[in-house]
Amino acid sequence: MTALSVHILDEIRELPGKYPQPRSAVMPALDLAQEELGHLTPEAMTEVAAALELDPGYVEGVATFYSLFHLEPIGKHHFYVCTNLSCALRGANEIIDHVKQEIGVKEPDEVSVDGMFSYEEVECLGACEFAPMMRFEHRYHYDLTPAKIDQLIAASKGEKLLPTRGEVARSAGGAAEKPKPKPRTARKKKADA
Amino acid sequence: MPELRGSHGDSPTNVLTRWFGTPDLHTLDVYESKAGGYAALRKALLDMAPADITNEVKTSGLRGRGGAGFATGTKWSFINRDSPGPKYVVINADESEPGTSKDRYILENSPHMLVEGILIAAYAVGANQAWVYIRGEYDEPYRMLSAAIEEARAKGYVGPKPMGKDYPLDIRLYRGHGAYICGEETALLESLEGKRAQPRSRPPFPAVKGAWGRPTLLNNVETLVTVPWIINHGGAAYAKFGTDKSPGTRLMSVSGNVNKPGVYEVELGQTFRHVIMDLAGGIAGGHDLKVFWPGGSSAPVLPASMLDTKTDMESLAAARSMGGSGGVIVMDDQHCIVRAAYRLLKFYARESCGKCTPCRIGGDWAVRTYERILANEGSQVEIDTLLRVSDGLQNGRCLCGLGDSAGWVIDSTFRHFREEYEDHALRHECNVGKVATSA
Repeated sequence: MTALSVHILDEIRELPGKYPQPRSAVMPALDLAQEELGHLTPEAMTEVAAALELDPGYVEGVATFYSLFHLEPIGKHHFYVCTNLSCALRGANEIIDHVKQEIGVKEPDEVSVDGMFSYEEVECLGACEFAPMMRFEHRYHYDLTPAKIDQLIAASKGEKLLPTRGEVARSAGGAAEKPKPKPRTARKKKADA
Repeated sequence: MPELRGSHGDSPTNVLTRWFGTPDLHTLDVYESKAGGYAALRKALLDMAPADITNEVKTSGLRGRGGAGFATGTKWSFINRDSPGPKYVVINADESEPGTSKDRYILENSPHMLVEGILIAAYAVGANQAWVYIRGEYDEPYRMLSAAIEEARAKGYVGPKPMGKDYPLDIRLYRGHGAYICGEETALLESLEGKRAQPRSRPPFPAVKGAWGRPTLLNNVETLVTVPWIINHGGAAYAKFGTDKSPGTRLMSVSGNVNKPGVYEVELGQTFRHVIMDLAGGIAGGHDLKVFWPGGSSAPVLPASMLDTKTDMESLAAARSMGGSGGVIVMDDQHCIVRAAYRLLKFYARESCGKCTPCRIGGDWAVRTYERILANEGSQVEIDTLLRVSDGLQNGRCLCGLGDSAGWVIDSTFRHFREEYEDHALRHECNVGKVATSA
C-alpha cells in the first residue's frame, strides 16, 4: 500500500520526459503529491523520490526550501494572508487577528478543531494596489475587511451569510421561494492522510 | 477580472497600457484586431534579420525592468546566436519584491503582449524554446498566460512555422513555489532545474551557461512586453520618452497610504511628487507623507523632503537610492519607521536562501536586535549592532544582492530617521507624530 495512489505515481513517472533534464520534474511531482494528500508526508516524499529515481533526502531538501510546500497538515481551507509592508500599512494585522479569532486558532499553521481552517502570514503576493489582500482557494481576495473574511468562512462551511443577487431579486419580486441549502463544493483534496 | 487600478487607455505616454481596459484584450482576437497585436512579431520574423531586432532594442535604450536596470539590447547581444545546440529564453515572472505588482497587472490585462515579446526575443537571440518561470501564487495570471499560449499555438504563432517562417518557436510554463530569492536570475535557473533556489557564482554568466547548462537569455515580464512597441515604432521613437540614460516609460506600482493605489505608467524623469501626489491621489486620511520606498522594499528610502526626486535611474542613484522594481511604497506620518524597518528585515531574514553566511546569520541578527529595541530593551549597543550587522550584509560579502538589500533598509532608515531610532533605543519611546514630516 503506497501513500500516493497508483495513478498519481504513474503521472509522476511521466514528468521527467517533459523537461530538458529529468530533475526539473521534482517540483511538479511534489505538487501532484501535495494535491492528493493535502501535505507532504515523509512516505509521499520517499515515493516521489523513487518514482523520479532521486535520493529521498534531495527531494525533502527541495520540499523544505519552498514556502508553498507544506510538510505538516493544514486546514482544508488555508488563508495565505499578506502581512508585508504595503498590506500592513492598510490593516493586514487586524485582518490576521480577525482570521485567528474566527477560525479559533492561536498561531500560523495551527489547524482549527474541525480540521477545516488554518492560516499563515505570507510575504508580498504582488497585488499591492488591492491591499490588504490574501490568497484563498487558489484565488486572490482584495480590499479585505472582517466582513469579507466572515463571508468566506461561511461559504467554506457551506452556509450562506448574505443572499445572492438572484435571491434578492426573487424576494423583491414577492415570490418567496426558499433557497435550497447550497451543497458542499466537492473538493479534490482529501482530508489528511 | 478585478477592477483596473492603474493606467489604461489613450494617453501620449501609455506605451504599454494604451489598450488596457479594452474588453477581452486577453483574447488573441481582440489583441490582434483592436490593439494591433502580433504585427511586431510578423515584422520581426518576415522583414528583419535577428541582428537588426537586437540593434533596434539597443537603439531604444531600454533597460531591464526587473530591478537591476541592465541595458536590454546589450544583454541580448551577449548570446552567441551561431553557437550550436539549444539556447533558451527564460522569463522571470516570479514577481515578489515587496510593493511590486506590475507584472501581475500586465499578465492579467494583456498576456498576449508577453507572448509576442517572448517570441520576438527568442528569434533575435537564436532560441527555439522559452520558459516562463511564473510565481506559484499567481493562479489567475497562470491560467490567462496558459490560455494565451494555447491560442497562439492554435493560430500557428507558436509552433513549427510561425507566420510561415521556418523557425520553430515554443513557450512553456514552470511554476514557482514561493521563494523571493528566485528573483535573482541564477537562483531562478537553479529552481527551474529542480533544485533549491540558491544563487550561482558568476562567471559563467547565463548568456554562456544558463538553464540546463545552455546559453540563456533572462528577461523580466515588463522588459519583454516593451519589445513589440519598439519593433513597431522603432527604437529611436521609444528613446524619445524619458531621459537620455533612462529612456522610456515604466510601470510603477504605488501602494500604502495613498488615496489611489494603482499601477501607473510613468515617463522616466517625472518626479515622485507627480507619481504619489497626482497619479496616486496623494496621502490618504488627511495625513502627511513621511517616507517612501521608490523601487520596491530593497530601494533605500527617501523622506518626504525628497519628494521632488526624479524617477530616472540616475536621479535615484544621486539620491542614494535606486529605481529597482518600480514598486513605490508610501508611508504616512502615523507610522513608525523602526517598526516598518523591522517588518522588512523579517522578510529578508525569512527569504535568505542560507548559502552565504553573512546573509543567513545577519538577517536574523538584525531581527533580534530590532525586537530588543521595540521591546524597550535597547541602548546605544543595539544601534551600533544594527549598523555593524548592516555593514556585514553588504559590500560584496554575499553571492547575490539579498543581503545588501536588507542592509540598505537599515542604513537608509537610520540615515533619514536617526532621531526615531534613538528615541526607541535610548529613550524607549516612539516619536510617531512628534516630528514634522511634511514635504
